[in-house]
Amino acid sequence: MSEHHITPLRTYLIIAASLLFLSGVTVWVSYIDLGPLNIVVAMLVATIKASLVAFFFMHLLWDDKKNLTMFLMSLMFFGIFVTITLLDTEFRGDLDLNPEVKDPINKRAVFYDTLPLTDTHGHPVDEHSDNHHEDKDHH
Amino acid sequence: MSNHNPDAPKHLKHYFANVDQQYETSKFAMWAFILTEVLTFAGLFVAYIVFRSWYPDMFVDAHKLLDVNKGLMNTIVLITSSLTMALAIWAIQKNNRKLSLIMLIATFVFAFCFLGIKFLEYSHKFEVGQLPGEYYSYMGPEVVHLNNPHIFFSIYFIMTGLHGLHVAIGMGLIAWLIYATYKGNLSSEYYTPMEMIGIFWHLVDLIWIYLFPLFYLIG
Repeated sequence: MSEHHITPLRTYLIIAASLLFLSGVTVWVSYIDLGPLNIVVAMLVATIKASLVAFFFMHLLWDDKKNLTMFLMSLMFFGIFVTITLLDTEFRGDLDLNPEVKDPINKRAVFYDTLPLTDTHGHPVDEHSDNHHEDKDHH
Repeated sequence: MSNHNPDAPKHLKHYFANVDQQYETSKFAMWAFILTEVLTFAGLFVAYIVFRSWYPDMFVDAHKLLDVNKGLMNTIVLITSSLTMALAIWAIQKNNRKLSLIMLIATFVFAFCFLGIKFLEYSHKFEVGQLPGEYYSYMGPEVVHLNNPHIFFSIYFIMTGLHGLHVAIGMGLIAWLIYATYKGNLSSEYYTPMEMIGIFWHLVDLIWIYLFPLFYLIG
């Protein structure tokens, strides 16, 4: 066991400091409106943080590469999972064979009509007299 | 077990050629387990992606009901616990059992803090009815115009709940490590369980690194 790589203490401290710094960055940048880039920046920072954890804390950098391969395979299958699911959910109704399924999702669920709705203090709200369907295309 | 070789270390199972082969095998198996863990969470991340692409505005408005400060606090707590876990392994590699023990106890305490903060968040949401699915009842001024905010809270509770369960399981494993280290069963010669539980604990941190911006910092 003696020849296992022992990461220097300094490396661990630098990585932890970078992770805390990047956590601050991701909160700070979330208050800046970058439009559609918001999510891209947030995920980019998260991926940098995740890589630091995986390579240094989980020792993947010094491990036999078969462990890294195993980890990357899980991410690859996650990618396939997402892609194939979105190929369905993003393009429903595009062929106009069944127009009802095209935009089925901006209506309020029916069970809201029977819910006992409550406000900030847990007091009941009478919402049911309104016609919710008025704002179904609210954006 | 190694009856055929009286010089072999006590922790070496007889079906391994040597300690290095045993260590590498354990580690590879641990990464196979991590793969199944990533795929378990993958299903939930796909649910998140699909519903967010269907309800972009609802997600942005509903996330404002979450407390960013508590989320950031939990992020800091979990990153620090990851550091102390890594340092516990570093200390045992240097055969410093006492420092390793202190670091493990610190990790356990940070994990407890994480669940404590999570409990505060959950209990507030239970109080005002920001709950999953049909248990949802909140209609405060921020959400009256929203369609189906219960979907956001279904995904929020299931993802953070499963993550919280991992933290709780991790706490049990770390408690066992504290016991084993205290008894002197682990040393620089044999610390495989600590390395493996460390990998598990860093995975818990890694998942939270994605959950935090996806739930608390949208838009």
